Amino acid sequence: MIPSPHVDGMAAFLMPHQLTHLAPVDILILVLYFVVVIFIGFYVKGSTNTSEEFFLAGREMSAWIAGLSFVSANLGSLELMGWAGAAYQYGMLAMHWYWIGAIPAMLFLGIVMMPFYYISKTHSVPGYLQLRFGEGARGLSAASFGLMTILMSGVNMYAMALVMKVVLGWNISFSIWVGAVTVAVYVMLGGLKSAIINEVLQFVLIWAGAALIPILGLVEAGGWTNLKAQIARNVGSNDYTHLWTTLGHFRDNPMGVHWTGIVFGLGFVISFGYWTTDFLVVQRVLSANNLRAAKLAPVIGAAFKMAVPFIVIVPGLLALAVLKNPDGSILHLVGENAVNATHPYSYNEVLPLMLIRYCGPGLLGLGITALVAGFMSGMAGNVSAFSTVWTYDIYGAFINKKASDKHYVAMGRWSTVIGMLVSIATAYLVANAASIMDYVQSLFSFFIAPLFGTVVLGMLWKRATKAGGFWGLLVGTASSIGMWVYTLRGGSAALSRIALSADAKPMAETLYRALWSWIICVVVTVVVSYMTKPVAIEQLAGLVYGATPIPDDGATSLWQKPIFWAIVVIVVFFILNIVFF
Amino acid sequence: MAQGTGRGESLSIWFFVGGLTLLYGVVLLPYGAWAWFGQHEAQTVLHHLHPTFWWGLLLTVFGGFYTFRFRPRSGKIS
Repeated sequence: MIPSPHVDGMAAFLMPHQLTHLAPVDILILVLYFVVVIFIGFYVKGSTNTSEEFFLAGREMSAWIAGLSFVSANLGSLELMGWAGAAYQYGMLAMHWYWIGAIPAMLFLGIVMMPFYYISKTHSVPGYLQLRFGEGARGLSAASFGLMTILMSGVNMYAMALVMKVVLGWNISFSIWVGAVTVAVYVMLGGLKSAIINEVLQFVLIWAGAALIPILGLVEAGGWTNLKAQIARNVGSNDYTHLWTTLGHFRDNPMGVHWTGIVFGLGFVISFGYWTTDFLVVQRVLSANNLRAAKLAPVIGAAFKMAVPFIVIVPGLLALAVLKNPDGSILHLVGENAVNATHPYSYNEVLPLMLIRYCGPGLLGLGITALVAGFMSGMAGNVSAFSTVWTYDIYGAFINKKASDKHYVAMGRWSTVIGMLVSIATAYLVANAASIMDYVQSLFSFFIAPLFGTVVLGMLWKRATKAGGFWGLLVGTASSIGMWVYTLRGGSAALSRIALSADAKPMAETLYRALWSWIICVVVTVVVSYMTKPVAIEQLAGLVYGATPIPDDGATSLWQKPIFWAIVVIVVFFILNIVFF
Repeated sequence: MAQGTGRGESLSIWFFVGGLTLLYGVVLLPYGAWAWFGQHEAQTVLHHLHPTFWWGLLLTVFGGFYTFRFRPRSGKIS
């Protein structure tokens, strides 16, 4: 996941009190969701008999379904709650993670990179690395990805259980086991297909459950203009409702970042790394039924991604304006460490607080169901990606190379169950040592930036060699870990060196660390490649730009061309950035 | 067409989307009507706008349309 400035602490959800309770109608809505989810698992089981069907949903998804699933796989509840809190804390700066931190990368994936992923017929991102850079790069990438996804699934599981405990008072173990068993059943039965159907459902559910908050909030605030005026009055500054005007210097904005960090660190390296090489999201697009659908799916996903701030960022901004104490004074939400009798709520409770503010019985159940769906879909995404990478890139590549297709499908089902058990163990581990979650979330950022360097050079530069790819990835990853340890031990002095400013805050460190590790990966790859023997051009066919005739995607009119819709999306993206500049 | 649910299946993904939202609409709409006309509205902010009723109506229409548009039909197996 793209690191959040806000979810970087398991304390994130350590709320000491129960916010509300469910009425019978809410429970009915929640139960209906579980029934439908389990039904889907059993329903699609009959058509997931081959490995292609189980791991890649038979490569038969339309552009719309692959696109919605692509964006939905990233729309977990941890992100929703974390970024709503970040919007309260930092204002519209949080929007960058949805716009510049996603849209250009998604379009680049669709238009530039997807043809190579798709025509190489790879089953996974590590699979592409194997074709381009050999077994070493594949093994390194698969092992790190497999470990991270399964740990993230456990973190998701624990986060769900904790949110259910503090919002509704549910028992932690009850939530963990009900969530885990449900996800294990429907992914084990239906594989990626089941996960994708549920992700599309979850996307609709999240909008159905959360869209009322900004709608009613804007009604209460008296529209966007009045909302901005109220926020400016309450916080004493106009900075919370601008995207770019405060990014001239690290000390001018509450996030402590500079525009170069946002544009190059987030908008280029982290965003491109996550959206173009994280197999969890790329796997959804690989399930598309033809090249045009595969190119169009990320474009469709980008269009929907641009709208997500309406249900995530706007509620956080609304809370700055409308939340009041019973005596009419402004209700200030604080950091987790500052919660006390005077300030009983933290930033992280923004979304549940706003949900309870506007939604009575029935609608509350819908909102809670949307959160549960988000958590479960996050777990399913991680587990289905893990099962694919384990079976194809670790088990099938290094342990048992010559098994039958049926055997690999069985391995996929078993690895789903075992992956889920490891996730449960992780969830309990996190429950007993909350700081582990911080480390697990940091781990993802170690691999994303250098992996992007390796993949993009592999796709766009014919001279990149196998040794170059492997050593670039290894040294880039090691440098990222090294910088993280350096900052952990060196404190603010180390942070200021990594982020190039004494005024920089931890988020800036994440952005610049990604940038440096990407640059290190690229430099090492280039240097080692020039020191080693070039790969014969005929071996690069289907893998590298310039050595591969890109097949026609079959578009016959302007409306069918992915590039046309990508231009439409990028124009809207620029307009939005100018409007909220 | 049974878009995306696989070979040999007759239910479209959009049918599931429509079905679930219709179910929710069918639960929320009468509940919202009961709360509105029976004076049982929960004391949430803006409750006088009867959001449960109107949201339930919207979900019913949206879900009903998708359920009907992508309903399973005999002989229509992709």
